[in-house]
Amino acid sequence: MIEEPYRWVEAIANRREYIEAQLAPGSPIAALGYRDGILFLTLGKTRQKIFEIYDRIAMGAIGHPGDIERLRMAAIELASTEGFSRSATDVSLRRLVHYSLSPVLKTAFEQIYGPPYLARMLFAEVGERPDNDLFLRVDYDGEIATNGATYAQARQDFAVLSGTQQSRELMEASLKTQHAPDASFEAALNSALDAWSIGHMTLQTKDAKELPERAAVTKYRKEQLVNSGIEAALLERDASRAIRYRSLSDKELRSLIND
Amino acid sequence: MERSPVAFDQNFSGAASDFPTLLRSEGLLAPALVNPVPQAGTPQKTWQPTEATTILAFKFSGGVLVAGDRRATAGNTVVYDRADKVLEIDRHSIMAIAGVPATAWEMARVLEHSFQFFRRTQLQEMSVDGKVRALSKLLRDNFGFVMQGVGVVVPIFATYDPHPKPEARLYFYDAMGAQFEATDYAATGSGSPAVRGILYYENTWGRKPLQELSEDEAVSITLRALDTAAESDTSTGGVDRSGKIYPLIKIVSREGITTLPESKIAALFKETVA
Repeated sequence: MIEEPYRWVEAIANRREYIEAQLAPGSPIAALGYRDGILFLTLGKTRQKIFEIYDRIAMGAIGHPGDIERLRMAAIELASTEGFSRSATDVSLRRLVHYSLSPVLKTAFEQIYGPPYLARMLFAEVGERPDNDLFLRVDYDGEIATNGATYAQARQDFAVLSGTQQSRELMEASLKTQHAPDASFEAALNSALDAWSIGHMTLQTKDAKELPERAAVTKYRKEQLVNSGIEAALLERDASRAIRYRSLSDKELRSLIND
Repeated sequence: MERSPVAFDQNFSGAASDFPTLLRSEGLLAPALVNPVPQAGTPQKTWQPTEATTILAFKFSGGVLVAGDRRATAGNTVVYDRADKVLEIDRHSIMAIAGVPATAWEMARVLEHSFQFFRRTQLQEMSVDGKVRALSKLLRDNFGFVMQGVGVVVPIFATYDPHPKPEARLYFYDAMGAQFEATDYAATGSGSPAVRGILYYENTWGRKPLQELSEDEAVSITLRALDTAAESDTSTGGVDRSGKIYPLIKIVSREGITTLPESKIAALFKETVA
């Protein structure tokens, strides 16, 4: 079958369609660089979606739990052996994603007789200042998106992950206007919650092209917070401790939410 | 099949939950010698490994105090007088080392990474028993080198256990990896007989048992003990009065690890020891 090139292209296209459909209901994750660190946030009731990878690196992921687990383990093993044999400061997210994860994902995706990884991941590495923060989103086909400036976009101090492109774009549009890198923790938390709500609302509708009304977002957010738990984690900018990752409990966040 | 230039393969299962095993599979840690061969004949005296000596730890009212002198020697030569033998492994654990620093520092590094690796992969903190056992395994794996006359390490491990009953815990090991939980105090290294004598005396007939000492009292007994050890053991640095080099003292408690500032140790030394 794959001796014929067009069949291969067709198979890849089918596979893409299948994976996109599987990922589509995934609850969005927002990662925001603010004054004192990077905040990861999502809402959910079931599985853990935000993880510590290394001293300054965290990951959020949607997809099949088995695949997420394999990729998470691989990332931790790679970072840990690198950090052990050289030093913690030599562990680089850019290298981890570009050199190790992306090629494997691409190979798995394109070998159509083998299983692809059903996962979409968002990594962040906290820097000394907000403008050193690095965000990398890696898709099931090995595609990488960064928060760095490109010809098409200015540098962003946040990154998001969602089940559909539409949902992701609207979350980004919301954060572009609402979030600034010198934001306080409280401001970042509320921006992240808004972005999540917009992302999640968009997943429920077919053709959302524009940002929903402010009031609608607030209402939706309120409703969701009643039923869902907040899952959040921090990568702290404070360099006095080597390990920057800290998970935040639902309880300590509730009081900081603006209604 | 041609190997792709990536650092992990497609069928990766993430099964390595033990960090030393992972390091060995990557060639980053010496393999454990299964059948250690004792050194044949008279030991060759042409080369002697650097060794670090005399560490002590005891429980007092504020947790566990862990201290070490600063001297590292190779035979009769003082190699270094500012060696750090009291190493922080994680937020609540300290490993103090007597023996060959090259091996001991490597062990501390493996241990530190093992605990973090466990927490990150398993999404929970390693239990105190697990931590104590991890060090024991590293010592056991190293025993081949000990038999060959190099690489002996005799550590002390102090940690704070939040479960089941929150308390500070103290362990010492022999070179083969046997672990012993100390109820009151532990000391290893060449100067340890003197230190053990003093700690036993203080604990039994002193003004109060070690466990009831305040921080200042604990520090002054530590300084006196190390100074006594240095009196008869050339490998122990004790307190260097002319060079102003003081032992390293750390305390493990519920709040974590604190390193006593040198100024405080110097003041207590002047007041209660010198």
